[in-house]
Amino acid sequence: MNILLALDDSSRAMEQAVRLASQHQAGLTALFVLDAGWSVYIGSDFLLGSTARSKFLEYTRDDEFAQQHATVETFQKMAQAAGVPCVIKTTTAQRVPEAILAELEQGGYDTLVMGHPFRRGLEVMRDATAQVLKSAACDVLFVSREG
Amino acid sequence: MEEKSRVANILAIVPGLAVMVGTLFLLRTYVEPWMKDAVVLGQKGWLVKVLSLNYILLSIIAGIIYRNVFFGGRIPDWAEAGFRTTRLFIKSGVIMLGSLYTLQKLAKVGSIAILLISTFVFGTVFFVIWYGKRIGMDRSMIGVMGASCGVCGVSAAVATAPGVNAKPSEVALAIATILGFGIMTMFISPFIGKALMMSDYQFGAWVGTGILNSGQVLATCLAFNPTFAPGTAVAYGEIWNVVRVISIPFVVFIVTTWACKSEAAESCDATGQKMDMAKVFKDRFPIFVLGFFGMTALSSLGWLGAEGSNTLHLLRDVMSWIFGIGLVGQGAYIDFRELKRAGGKPLRVGLVAGTLKYVVALIVIMLFVSKDASF
Repeated sequence: MNILLALDDSSRAMEQAVRLASQHQAGLTALFVLDAGWSVYIGSDFLLGSTARSKFLEYTRDDEFAQQHATVETFQKMAQAAGVPCVIKTTTAQRVPEAILAELEQGGYDTLVMGHPFRRGLEVMRDATAQVLKSAACDVLFVSREG
Repeated sequence: MEEKSRVANILAIVPGLAVMVGTLFLLRTYVEPWMKDAVVLGQKGWLVKVLSLNYILLSIIAGIIYRNVFFGGRIPDWAEAGFRTTRLFIKSGVIMLGSLYTLQKLAKVGSIAILLISTFVFGTVFFVIWYGKRIGMDRSMIGVMGASCGVCGVSAAVATAPGVNAKPSEVALAIATILGFGIMTMFISPFIGKALMMSDYQFGAWVGTGILNSGQVLATCLAFNPTFAPGTAVAYGEIWNVVRVISIPFVVFIVTTWACKSEAAESCDATGQKMDMAKVFKDRFPIFVLGFFGMTALSSLGWLGAEGSNTLHLLRDVMSWIFGIGLVGQGAYIDFRELKRAGGKPLRVGLVAGTLKYVVALIVIMLFVSKDASF
């Protein structure tokens, strides 16, 4: 069994993925997607220079990396504590669900675990879980934020 | 290598831009003339006269339909670079609008605009600070919402966020709230203006004060009266709009200073230095405003020709196309699914502050601003 965990700030999703991997002796991969869609969202374009918009984009980029660092660290500690080996992957995409679906397709996973609602980057404004559910060709476990 | 990527960037614009230009062409050539002649509810031209569905509002509606219906919520990759030129078109149009004035005319109306805008901008900022604290909103988000409700939606939100250490995801929610509010006001304002029999001067002053986004101010004024000429709604509205966007750096400075007050001084900006007004002004000043005043200077010197000249006629025709193209693009940045996700405290603060500003501005304009145009 091969499990993919889509990382966001949901610690319950991390716990469930680790528990599932431990129970089934499954391979566990955690994917963190850096959201590169901010420039489109705020309507920034290369023809019209705007210092305020450029500074904001730098700010969001730094925030994305800070979140990646914090989330991955939390997950690694959790997996280590449970004695579950895992692989961490990081990728960048304009739309986070598309990167998750691409990884699902390439990696041959049996199960996807993700938090619901899924809060990664601009997905706070969108419905990532619906998009993933529509196209995922494997089992999907949505983990509620509240226990 | 660099040169190649620039060429590629420019070529990438073509497909999306072609869609925007083609859409406007169809709207102006076929749809708007048909609407002017169509008999609805027994009245010829009801769609244009009553619903204000001229090519300007139709451009935005077409953009919204592209994004939400044909594109399924996301501008496709092949069209994205073209649609991203939206702001360039709108800002270029604003610069050209400078030709509608002379410096003397600006000075005549400018003082009223400065007085009203300062009162409403800073009044809204202080209201948001008070209300945000009252409902327990984060200090950083109060800062972002104060700036975006007070001045200029997206521009003010992104200009303030780094200085107050706001979470980008919350800034996204604030932007959705402000844009959603703006769309609502854009469609209802022409009705209200006509129902209250407002003059172009009153309508321009009200919309320029009460609506938060440059593109939306222009679209609303042009929906009320689609003519580009001195003394029309768009000519007045744009003076208010320009004064409002000039206030961005001042608001950013005040909000950032306020937000940092209770924090350690080191956290006042990302570099760990205290905010410097000169630096804020340099970084946040909307440079296109200089182009607007440049055009006004040319107009004052008579270099653009007298009223009714071929040059001015051509310039205004080009302007109407530029705004129309930009507004198709602006519509395509409105995703109802995203707007629906706006919620929580930013939505509450945005709706209360936005509505209050919009209604109080209407009352003040109706009571204290005469119907007669100042120029």
